[in-house]
Amino acid sequence: MEFVSPEGLRLDGRRPMEMRQIRAEIGAVSKADGSAIFEMGNTKVIAAVYGPREVQNRSQQISSHALVRCEYSMANFSTGDRMRKPKGDRRSTEISLVIRQTMEACILTHLLPRSQIDIYVQVLQADGGTRSACINAATLALADAGIPMRDFVTSCSAGYLNSTPLLDLNYVEDSAGGPDVTLGILPKLDKVTLFQMDSKLPIDILENVMQLAIEGCKAIASYIREILLENTNQLEYRRGV
Amino acid sequence: MGGLSLGEKHFIQGGIAQDLRCDGRKRLAYRPIYVETGVIPQANGSARVRMGATDVIASVKAELGKPSLLQPDKGKVSIYIDCSSTAEPAFEGRGGDELATELSVALQRCLLGGKSGAGAGIDLSSLIVVEGKICWDLYIDGLVVSSDGNLLDALGASIKAALSNTGIPRVQVAAGTANDEQPEVDVSDEEFLQFDTSGVPVIVTLTKVGRHYIVDATSEEESQMSSAVSISVNRQGHICGITKRGGAALDPSIILDMISVAKHVSEQVINKLDSEIASAEAQEES
Repeated sequence: MEFVSPEGLRLDGRRPMEMRQIRAEIGAVSKADGSAIFEMGNTKVIAAVYGPREVQNRSQQISSHALVRCEYSMANFSTGDRMRKPKGDRRSTEISLVIRQTMEACILTHLLPRSQIDIYVQVLQADGGTRSACINAATLALADAGIPMRDFVTSCSAGYLNSTPLLDLNYVEDSAGGPDVTLGILPKLDKVTLFQMDSKLPIDILENVMQLAIEGCKAIASYIREILLENTNQLEYRRGV
Repeated sequence: MGGLSLGEKHFIQGGIAQDLRCDGRKRLAYRPIYVETGVIPQANGSARVRMGATDVIASVKAELGKPSLLQPDKGKVSIYIDCSSTAEPAFEGRGGDELATELSVALQRCLLGGKSGAGAGIDLSSLIVVEGKICWDLYIDGLVVSSDGNLLDALGASIKAALSNTGIPRVQVAAGTANDEQPEVDVSDEEFLQFDTSGVPVIVTLTKVGRHYIVDATSEEESQMSSAVSISVNRQGHICGITKRGGAALDPSIILDMISVAKHVSEQVINKLDSEIASAEAQEES
């Protein structure tokens, strides 16, 4: 199948190095301590953060730093074919773990000993790149909850199809079977916190693909910074500062 | 909601007794309802409904299936509700399943009518394609994104909005198939049939706190309830289903009183919801 036309356009009309349209909104779940909606094209996720709060299960309490927990779930209507009982299957458990580890790496957990932070991500629509979208949403929600972080994590995926590196794969490109690199970076510290790839890829090409994904992460980081700044300005305005 | 002090509890109860609730509403006043349609482009129809901090999404997916042997002239509709853990940390893992099942069953009772399919708010015979062979199966999925009480009414409203947003593809049936064969169909991806949702009821939940009852309770108020009665009423003012929740027993005369109040309140709710749905659809088209 042809994923990049001779004119250099992808199936959804993007250029190989073009990202889907991204949109973020802070404060989607008013009952949570922090929440955000993040959209990348047709992929749409909600993240809600509860905490820092008292540890619910005393035996899990850690006296030196905070306990971070994460749950990823997909809505029944999120995929093209309707599916039933998405909670707790292996794929969601794995993604929960990935998100938890990634976020734990950037939260200053030692400042919040004996407390618990819960991150819940809910996929409303899945069209490839849910992992990245979830991490971006979780970052925004954590920032909204006012949890101390080293830097925010942003994530983006990239792939390699028809001998072209492609940024931000959608579902069709993702299921094409080519390599899919999901990368998460700390944009200010310029460090990689998440790196996953399936299928094989020559090392020199991997370097290009990875560079492309890093560019994507940085673009998302600047957007996220903009959204957070706007949100802070609004809060300031409401308080009459 | 376990974190209320004794003073707060008295404040809520006292406010309700004096017809002035914590957010300034009267006993029989709803919070403003916001409707957004077409939020899930992959579904045949979808809607998001917000009432205060309660936030729910409903989607409708249509699939071709086979009608059941007992009712060859009717399509099938099923309702599933999912409580997302974003709404409440207690819904994590399987924690939300109990509430989700309670809500699903209550909605099925209120919207789908009896086993025979009679009295359903959705006209099941309009879902038939070829009698006894092909029909549309409608899967209605609700998702609770954020919960601040009165989930049932919000879910009922979102399902009504999602159904009026739903387009069922027109189906061409190939002529000349033998009687016992499964006929071939051609599903159009351009022509859609709109659904008639004027008969879909709305649900009004009356929550009894102390000696009085209120509509559209927040979760703080729900924590003080003794029992709640959910009544679904359609546009004609007919009762389509009743569910009672909560432990305390009610006097039969109070239930009858509640029903007449619910009927009265439902008129306002239907009008409000219809105008919200119309403006949401207009906004989506523009």
